Amino acid sequence: MSASWLLRQRSVPPLGVDFAAVLPTRVAELSAAGLSRLALPIGRDTVALGELFDVAAGDGDLPGLRIEGDCRRLHGIGRGMDGGRIVVDGPVGDYLGAEMTAGEIRVDGDAGLLAACALAGGRIEIGGDVGDFAASALPGAIDGMRGGVLVVRGNAGARFGDRMRRGSAVIHGRAGDFLASRMVAGTIALAGEIGAHPGFGMRRGTLVFAGDRPRVPDTFAPTGHDICVFWALLARSLAPFGEPFDALAGRPPERVVGDLGVDGKGEWLLPA
Amino acid sequence: MGEPIVDNGVVIDDTFAEAFPMKATRLVVTAFDASWASNAAVAMTGFATSVIACGCEAGIERTLAPEETPDGRPGVSVLIFAMSGKELAKQVERRVGPCVLTCPTTAIYAGLDDGEPIALGRNLRFFGDGWQISKMIDGKRYWRVPVMDGEFVAEETTPVVKGVGGGNLLILGRDTASALAAAEAGVAAMRRVPNVIMPFPGGVVRSGSKVGSKYPALMASTNDAFCPALTPLARNTELGGEVRSVMEIVIDGLTDADVAAATRAGIAAIVARGSAAGVLRISAGNYGGKLGPFHFHLHQLRGEEGGP
Repeated sequence: MSASWLLRQRSVPPLGVDFAAVLPTRVAELSAAGLSRLALPIGRDTVALGELFDVAAGDGDLPGLRIEGDCRRLHGIGRGMDGGRIVVDGPVGDYLGAEMTAGEIRVDGDAGLLAACALAGGRIEIGGDVGDFAASALPGAIDGMRGGVLVVRGNAGARFGDRMRRGSAVIHGRAGDFLASRMVAGTIALAGEIGAHPGFGMRRGTLVFAGDRPRVPDTFAPTGHDICVFWALLARSLAPFGEPFDALAGRPPERVVGDLGVDGKGEWLLPA
Repeated sequence: MGEPIVDNGVVIDDTFAEAFPMKATRLVVTAFDASWASNAAVAMTGFATSVIACGCEAGIERTLAPEETPDGRPGVSVLIFAMSGKELAKQVERRVGPCVLTCPTTAIYAGLDDGEPIALGRNLRFFGDGWQISKMIDGKRYWRVPVMDGEFVAEETTPVVKGVGGGNLLILGRDTASALAAAEAGVAAMRRVPNVIMPFPGGVVRSGSKVGSKYPALMASTNDAFCPALTPLARNTELGGEVRSVMEIVIDGLTDADVAAATRAGIAAIVARGSAAGVLRISAGNYGGKLGPFHFHLHQLRGEEGGP
């Protein structure tokens, strides 16, 4: 038995596989054989994990998983995760870290749709791009991301942060259309450009544009007051995410509020 | 009581200061500059000399450089002590609202990391009349309340810890000037010790009290044993005729070790001035061990170089 496991891909599954059952805290209690026998839903059938991966003991005492290979057909990696660590060397499928409450996921590649949706705690870092509806709500759910930290080193798709209500999300690249739509609270910091209709229906929450200044929609209005205290707290919090966020403290922002169609208590911070 | 020690001509009684448990919190007030931070802190710690009538004991612990505060502005660290967590919560709210929220450019933060949380900005936020904004940053919730100079930022809660109140030193002088000068020197030394406050005006109290009174309604009354006016009258007098003025320094600290460190610093500063400066004795107030579990023995503290 091992606290951590190394999974080396043997074959790419022909259909999408629900990988949500493979959580660090759960598989730490299994033997290598038990883990290999773990049945994972695939279509209307199941497949043993051992058919997809070679299982070996990993290094480290904490519950952990290291997954190597093209995991684009593995959906729900780290879904509902409540502790431990998952590292994926390669791209992953949809629902990465959905409903996660604690722990850490690091993906060295792209992620599919709905990554970090309904994230409640822990930290997810995606080295590549992320698909649509990241940091948003599960389909049909009211609340989006509600805690934790999501870092996207690449670009984000559309509807990033839809209905987000707590936590912090950082995008080092571009964001797609409808960034922060219907956002309820939380913080999104962005280094790159944005698509159409940013902040649509944004009720509260904070958007920080650390890169080029975007065009401000007509449904947002400037407030000229001094926010140096809040800015000092926020800039200090964002600095560890690296360039360009590490220089925000010296760039006092312009502030606009909106979406005025829905109370206008959301804010965009546009550093000088 | 054992034999007194004489050091640099100053008699140090073989006695102990008796202190009792309190609830405490530390608040950090920041502002546009040190002057405005001080204005808020002074107002907030006003009328907070004794729990007997003020509800709490509070004081400025020290000023903070910009790099020591959460928002990088000049600040002041304040300690507040009360007899219960509930009373402390009441006093914090009652003081921060009228004294810090109102003071231009200020913000307020919790100054301790661990402890049972009580409201700091949690209820003050309602001043925002619905325009207030909550913000979670690195696991801490802050409230941003729109005010006329911009916005007032307050951390939602502040942790409460067990503290120690009522540590004390009595300085028996040849006259008022010498007793007062020695007390000032003692307070100055104690203020360099972290985690303590001396809550009385200037850190010094001239109306030391004993528990109880001949009047049933009063819970405390003058410390007749140390009143020079009563030397020939009070049966329990502790004074000789040469003592004509007594000053007391009361010390509240976050731990008994902090109170001990402050007491030690005070003794050392007063003894260094010597009897030539008019200080005849150093003593301490206690109630035979009935008031509280913390006993600070003067001889023991005087003999220690380091920790309590």
